Amino acid sequence: MEFLNAIGGGAFALLGAAMAAALACVGSAKGTGITGEAGAGLVSEDPSKSGKVMILQVIPGTQGLYGFVIFFLAFTKISAHLGTMSVLQGMQIFGACLPIALGGLLSAIAQGRVAAASINILAKKPDDWSKGMIMCIVVEFYAILCLLASFLMLNAITL
Amino acid sequence: MKKLRLIAVQSQKKALLEDLLKLGCVEVTEPELGEDDILSSLRDKSDEGAMERRSQQLKILNALKVLDQYAPAKRGMLSPKPEEVKENFLDKQGLEQALDAADRILRLDGELRAVSANESRERALEESLKPWQNLDLPLECRGTRTCDLLLGAVPASVSQQEAEGALIELDADLTQIEQDKTDSYVVVLYRKEIRDEVLAALREVNFSQISLGNLTGTAKENIALCQQHLREFAEEKQRLADAIKAESGMRPILEMGADNAGTGISLCEAAEKLRNTETVALLQGWVPAEKEEKLRQVFDGYDCAWELVEPEKDEYPNVPVQLKNNAFTNALNMVTNMYSLPAYGTVDPNPLMAPFFILFFGLMMADIGYGLIMILAALVVRKKLKPRGNALATWQLVLYGGISTLLMGILTGGFFSDVIDAICELNGSSFRMWRLFSAEEQSTQVLVGSMVLGLLHLNTGMAVSFYRKRKDGNLADGIFEEGSLWVLLLGIVLYALPMLPSLLKKDFQIPAVIGTAGMVIMIIGGAMLLFGAGRHSKGFGKVTAAFGAIYNTATGWFGDVLSYSRIMALMLAGGVVGKVFNNVALMPARNAGHFTVGSALAFVIIFVLGHTMNFGLNILGCYVHDLRLQCLEFFGKFYEDGGKPFRPLTFSESYRQVKG
Repeated sequence: MEFLNAIGGGAFALLGAAMAAALACVGSAKGTGITGEAGAGLVSEDPSKSGKVMILQVIPGTQGLYGFVIFFLAFTKISAHLGTMSVLQGMQIFGACLPIALGGLLSAIAQGRVAAASINILAKKPDDWSKGMIMCIVVEFYAILCLLASFLMLNAITL
Repeated sequence: MKKLRLIAVQSQKKALLEDLLKLGCVEVTEPELGEDDILSSLRDKSDEGAMERRSQQLKILNALKVLDQYAPAKRGMLSPKPEEVKENFLDKQGLEQALDAADRILRLDGELRAVSANESRERALEESLKPWQNLDLPLECRGTRTCDLLLGAVPASVSQQEAEGALIELDADLTQIEQDKTDSYVVVLYRKEIRDEVLAALREVNFSQISLGNLTGTAKENIALCQQHLREFAEEKQRLADAIKAESGMRPILEMGADNAGTGISLCEAAEKLRNTETVALLQGWVPAEKEEKLRQVFDGYDCAWELVEPEKDEYPNVPVQLKNNAFTNALNMVTNMYSLPAYGTVDPNPLMAPFFILFFGLMMADIGYGLIMILAALVVRKKLKPRGNALATWQLVLYGGISTLLMGILTGGFFSDVIDAICELNGSSFRMWRLFSAEEQSTQVLVGSMVLGLLHLNTGMAVSFYRKRKDGNLADGIFEEGSLWVLLLGIVLYALPMLPSLLKKDFQIPAVIGTAGMVIMIIGGAMLLFGAGRHSKGFGKVTAAFGAIYNTATGWFGDVLSYSRIMALMLAGGVVGKVFNNVALMPARNAGHFTVGSALAFVIIFVLGHTMNFGLNILGCYVHDLRLQCLEFFGKFYEDGGKPFRPLTFSESYRQVKG
């Protein structure tokens, strides 16, 4: 415990906020990256589809946004108390940030794969591409739940 | 739907079909004739040229594609498809004109492709000659009477000393002409009698011979020739591209021609479904019952015999389905079509689904600003684009969804999340938007509320199912399946009622006896459910059926009701993300203490970007999740799908639409 006290609660809280933004953004970067690669192939054949490819590509980008939202909320909450926060409080913030950090990271990658596969629908059956979009949004829901879990927990913590 | 059978004389067949096409309410099908049918002698099908029409359409579409490539059409996003009178869709001359134009354009395109192929061949040749441009020997030179001359490449990894060294002992010569990243290009000269030794030594240094074909003259001369050809090709391409561009005036004719050919395909395909003798033709099809009078008017002008009959029960799987809708429920067609049409003779889900769909959508979006944007967009599109059919239904849905979003936004006090509150706070004003409830502050209550709405939704579905079972004479099924669940649910609600005060954080008491009564009712409902599940089974089957029922009911219902928590989740998520954007957008102003020019500009940019993104995501997310609640949870309770869509013989309207 003494060891933890020496580190201080603020460090743990910052670590949580940092993970929320960083991991979710890494996930989104990978997800949009996977989709972008697949999309570039299609656009090279048919540039007129670039608009739709772009829509599919930004879908896995939202997890990064959610991560940033939680980072922002956590950071505005802790920024005034960084030096004075107890280890317990720091750990609480850290825990609250975990859902969107991990959920954002993994769901964005999974969603990126679905979006990349949906590029195939766009290539072969352009009229049905919105169905691919719907499949992507199904994955999105779990990122939203992670966002909410983190948000509700953060809201419940008083410093 | 009514089944139409009609016998017409051959000479009037075409004209009759065209009139049916203009009417647009008959789906022509292949007649199924039994052996003993008096019409069974009508067997012959005729070729009406659908194949030819298809190739014509393909040709016109290809020509349009070529035009799109060289002379893209400039059409505003909000301009509707031009309208044309019905006759133009059947105009033979117009089609001929379009085909002529398509032929011209495709021929030009073919020439252009040929030139492009030549161009790339020439370019490749130029590329292969480039390393040799410093070689001043003519390329046809293969040696002298006593010597051989070889052109070739040695990998760049082999140094020049190595390569020269390999040959120096043999008294042969290797001269490097050019070097690039991968290869060095060399000329090898040796006496004919030591050919084998030289070739062996060259193999050691991975020499590969290069043949430049039958070119004459030096490489430099050949490159100059290539470049001259390339210039000529470029000019030729430009000329051809200009010629294609000059045809762009034919676009309207081509577009009309494409729809003309498409309409022709439908007509021919319908005609090919008819059965013929030399003198008469038999047509069978489906017609919405209310169109009978219109049909009569058309048929009166022809020498034909016809009948309209209600379909038999065993024909139901083949009867096409058309949903009867008013302007309100029509909006939900998009959802029903996307899932699957109801089987013929079952319930049309649209009127049942419409209020829930629109309510849930509004609850999930719940923002005055977003609602206003949707309403505005729908109104503008309806006015400018004048959409029809499915597109109209979509925009109607946007309109109703927008109104619902606006109303729910008023209840939750959201205008682009909390932008008004945030700005007021910045300016030191104590004004806050009025709200009845907010997902953020009363999240538990909103969550329970979502599930209560879900229960209502599911029970509506069950009520429909119960009603249908009673109508079909299966009242017992209804009582044991839906009825027992209702008893069970009533029990659960009564049992849970004493917890209400703590949930609402209000100070009133509900007598505990209600909870006990709920317990008893729950047990009765459970017993009914068990008995009902085992009703049709025998012996040990009763036990497994009962356990199956418990498991399915418990997990199924539990999952279904919990699924409605997404209403609260999406409501909250949209608000939170929007709020953070407002917060970030207001940061510069907050740091300055008030709005300056710079901070106001930053606010506008971040606000617009952020809310555009949030709005786009929300509208998609809310639509998809609303869809899921309808298609999975709601339809699961009563819906019988598998209807075949009604596809009447009508005009092809890809580029033009029929006037009126």
